[in-house]
Amino acid sequence: MYSNRTPVHAILETDHRVRKPKNARAKRAMDKRAPQANENPKTTLFVSGQRTSQILKLATADIRSLKKPFVETFTKKNDIHPFEDASSLEFFSLKNDTSLLVLSIHSKKRPNCLTLCRTHNHKILDMLELYINASSFRTLQQFKNKKPAVGLKPLISFHGTVFEDPNATKWTLAKSLLLDLFRGQEASEVDVEGLQYLISISAAEPEDGKPDPELHIRFYLIKTLKSGQKLPRVEVEEMGPRIDASLGREQIPDPDVMKAALKKPRGVEPKTKKNIDMDIMGDKVAKVHLPKQDFKTMQTRKMKGLKRGRTPPDVDMEGADEDVSEDETSPKRSKV
Amino acid sequence: MGGITSPPNAAASMTESTLTSRRPVTVDKPTPLTFDLGNLLANDPNPVVFSDRDHLEETLSANARDAAQALINQLLSTCEIKASADGVHLVLPAPTTLLPREKPVPEEKAPTKWELFAKKKGIAQKKRDGKLVYDEASGEWVPKWGYKGKNKEGENDWLVEVDDKKETESGQAHDARTDGRRERKEKVRRNERKQRANERNSRKSG
Repeated sequence: MYSNRTPVHAILETDHRVRKPKNARAKRAMDKRAPQANENPKTTLFVSGQRTSQILKLATADIRSLKKPFVETFTKKNDIHPFEDASSLEFFSLKNDTSLLVLSIHSKKRPNCLTLCRTHNHKILDMLELYINASSFRTLQQFKNKKPAVGLKPLISFHGTVFEDPNATKWTLAKSLLLDLFRGQEASEVDVEGLQYLISISAAEPEDGKPDPELHIRFYLIKTLKSGQKLPRVEVEEMGPRIDASLGREQIPDPDVMKAALKKPRGVEPKTKKNIDMDIMGDKVAKVHLPKQDFKTMQTRKMKGLKRGRTPPDVDMEGADEDVSEDETSPKRSKV
Repeated sequence: MGGITSPPNAAASMTESTLTSRRPVTVDKPTPLTFDLGNLLANDPNPVVFSDRDHLEETLSANARDAAQALINQLLSTCEIKASADGVHLVLPAPTTLLPREKPVPEEKAPTKWELFAKKKGIAQKKRDGKLVYDEASGEWVPKWGYKGKNKEGENDWLVEVDDKKETESGQAHDARTDGRRERKEKVRRNERKQRANERNSRKSG
């Protein structure tokens, strides 16, 4: 999309200078891209390197179709080697306002390599390479069944002890990146009908003396059956794509930058209310203070016999009512 | 790489009545799963063991089924359910898994010099009430500014009084019409100057 001959650094510098929008449309566009307290869902940019393979093309096409509508795609080749110089990716991120980038490069040394990159403030935060296993790869179309609707939020599951590591490893990085890539739009509510597919990501136990285990990414359709109980019986059916990948090089995020990136804006978290708690069962428990009850002003049951006598103005009102509704005879009125 | 169809589901082929009572809905795992319902995420910390390459898919789909069942059980039992005309909705809690932001948290805008002064003096912001103002002379509602605005009063008068006092003081001829215009333009320039100064100061401090 962009020529590789553009002096990237020069453009980046001019972009960081404070520029004033020249018209209202430009101002709106700039405001939309400015940092916001509640962020929009991340957009993913798919870029291909100087050489790519059929497997990579099919894999990215399937991921794109599942990630719609938060995708951007470059069709031309770009000579990018992110672990040597990632400035082009930063430039793409800045120009397209995308904070997730998926770069596909195929080479003899790193066959079918999918590089997942994430940026914070248009600077590379972390990167991870996935070498897709060509023999076990299957596309979305090879599974002949119904596919979920576009733009649904998937269920995601991670299986394996490697993902639970408290330290930052390439596995926890893979978990964070894949979750960010697939989780879709942040939602406070979901339709039960919309829980249509599950993304299951598994890894076996690493063993000494053997190569690292593969990452198994599977997509399953969810089917709920009647179980005779309140909760339904869930069954899964594979819908593709089927991706097995080994992890390649990684770039773990800088702790300081990551800390800044995880910062939460003020006022997003709800204020804790005094005396209100949630117990283990998820029930709301509150402590209520009441003033002493005054029985004199207490409202007791109303009875006709206790009513005060009708006052002259009331009689007047009734008379007026009758005058107005002389010609209309509704059943309600006849009762009075 | 031919077309793949999943193995026929044995349960589905049998009649509903004979099986409904026997379908289990609970998930038993050595270590219980943890959930992040805001992201519809289930973490299964149990080790994944493949007996051999042929049974890989079975193991994976069995694990996935258990995770899906556990996650749906958790969702249906802990989330508030809202039923309306357009379907049954689940109210999700806020996500607990920390994911980095796309851009930094927006900085708060620095207060202008006037805002600081107003705060110090306790001056409340004046409420703007419309663009029109009543013109006593003509008995009509006229705009405060703009075309035929109130602030341009007297600039188009065909006859104006000469201010003798002003002329003797300054020693040159004055036109009340151009004076008014000059004053108005100067006010605008002054305000723009102040705006630029405020912007500059906010950039220096921020």
